[in-house]
Amino acid sequence: MAEPAKPYGLLAEFETPADAMHAAERVRDAGFRRWDVFTPYPVHGMDKAMGLKNSVVGWFSFLGGVAGYTSGMLLIWWMNHYDYAIPVGGKPLFSPFSAFPPSYELTILFGAFGALFGMLFLNRLPRLHHPLLKHRRFALASHDRFFLVIETNDPKYRDTETRQLLESAGSRRIEMVED
Amino acid sequence: MSALSDLRAAADRPLDLSRWRKVPNLLIGIGAAGALLGLLLDRVQFGYSWLVAFMFFLSLTLGALFLVLVHHLFDAGWSVPIRRFCEHIASLLFPWMALAFIPIALLAPWLYGWMQVQDPHADHALHAKLPLFTKPGFYLVTLACFGIWWWLSHTLRRLSLAQDRDGAAHHTYAMRRVACLGIFLFAITLTLAAVLWMKGLMYEWFSTMYGVYYFAGSVWVTLGTVYLITMILKRNGTLEPVLHEHQFYFIGSLLFAFTVFYAYIHFSQYFIIWNANMPEETFWYVVREKGTWWYVGMVIIFGHFFLPFLALLRIDLKLTFAWMIPLCIWTWLMHYVDLAFNIHPYRHAAGYPFQWAWLDLACSALIGGLLIKQFLNKFGSHPPYPLKDPRLCEAMGHVHFHASAISGGEIDETDELADGPEVVGGGR
Repeated sequence: MAEPAKPYGLLAEFETPADAMHAAERVRDAGFRRWDVFTPYPVHGMDKAMGLKNSVVGWFSFLGGVAGYTSGMLLIWWMNHYDYAIPVGGKPLFSPFSAFPPSYELTILFGAFGALFGMLFLNRLPRLHHPLLKHRRFALASHDRFFLVIETNDPKYRDTETRQLLESAGSRRIEMVED
Repeated sequence: MSALSDLRAAADRPLDLSRWRKVPNLLIGIGAAGALLGLLLDRVQFGYSWLVAFMFFLSLTLGALFLVLVHHLFDAGWSVPIRRFCEHIASLLFPWMALAFIPIALLAPWLYGWMQVQDPHADHALHAKLPLFTKPGFYLVTLACFGIWWWLSHTLRRLSLAQDRDGAAHHTYAMRRVACLGIFLFAITLTLAAVLWMKGLMYEWFSTMYGVYYFAGSVWVTLGTVYLITMILKRNGTLEPVLHEHQFYFIGSLLFAFTVFYAYIHFSQYFIIWNANMPEETFWYVVREKGTWWYVGMVIIFGHFFLPFLALLRIDLKLTFAWMIPLCIWTWLMHYVDLAFNIHPYRHAAGYPFQWAWLDLACSALIGGLLIKQFLNKFGSHPPYPLKDPRLCEAMGHVHFHASAISGGEIDETDELADGPEVVGGGR
């Protein structure tokens, strides 16, 4: 026997980007934390309407770059100066300038890794399934409809009040999506 | 904020240069006294300090010659207003730079270690460089260099002045032909000069990039100086009628390009020598990683490359005098540090000779004062820009540019510098 389905969130459908944007502004001002908007194409100003801040993914990139540069320098220093010193050509055993190009390249590589994996981590990707994908009408989010979803585990979520908020924001089709 | 905008406004105000008229004589006086004192104290050290000063001003004169040559080679339009004073600076190569070489020529046997080697055939590093590294070779090449520079700089200047009188186009063609030959002569003589006079201090060493290395630093410091002179001539009104904003933008862009070019060349020289593992090459840099020379090297990396690189990235800052004046003066300091890094370690392996910095400065003041005086004489007795150059209108922006197969209409776009201030009536 199947367990009773857990609710995931309230899905509100909008017909125009303007409606979705105004709804987002109201949800933002109401102080919700766990919610999102889905549109068929990028809507300018939506990030502001949703109160989104600049992504922190840049910091992952930065840390990746620092790690890359340091590991490049340490790698070459450790191999050529410490672990297996090669006294050749009358040179000092280590030169930071000579080690710069590979370290720089590792900076770029690890910086790119930081950006990519940081983005995946922040988006909680990869994942095999998402409750919204089960919903039949949600496929319209890549066609001509605009969706706003508020998760039920949001601290501000209340069954009736939240539904009323979305109704008053102009949505004519509000459904509970199950996990 | 208001202090900053005050500074900005002060850097744009018209200049009154009468206060500065005594400066060249003052430089000559102080410089001569210092140089004489240095000569009496330590003749050999005087030679090296003089060499640093000489190579510094050789950079400026050769760099100016290069700018004149490329102007003709590229049939450039924008650089017409700045060409005349570059021609004057280049013409200082003879006789003034040749005269400035006399102390080096006289002191050469004490300055250059290879001249003291008894049997050059027993010293492989020297033997391989015969007959260039012999006394006749040294002096003959020196004479040839100055002879070629004399002919090149004075021919270009004479033709340019002749065009002022009759406005004939054939002068432009003649200058272009001279430049076509001249660029090869320039490359060969500059390389020989850098190798014989500077690299020859450590004659066991060799680097095929050395000539380009000296060239890159030379044109870099010249562009900084050309920016300053152009700015002065704009603000005192001399070049104002023929200048356009894009002259400053282009000089700034070239300065940026040569910042990167110099770093690329110097790094490549280091990197190739490091990877080649040959003791007869590595020793030159090993000496320069000891004592305070290490820190001088750091100053070159961060001051000669990183700082100007970052400072010149933005378009609008290339046009902001309050920003560019300190940067252009900075190029002098950095080029001096670069030359000291090349010349002084031969005698002062322990580190930069702070106790002799005053002598470097005195020699530079003497040569610099003399050259400034000569330059002002030349500049004052001729029109300040090529009056009848066929491309002068273009430089002033009084031409309807249209995209062609060759131009792509790029010059046209300089008016639309995204961040640049508005120009009244400019461009079209």
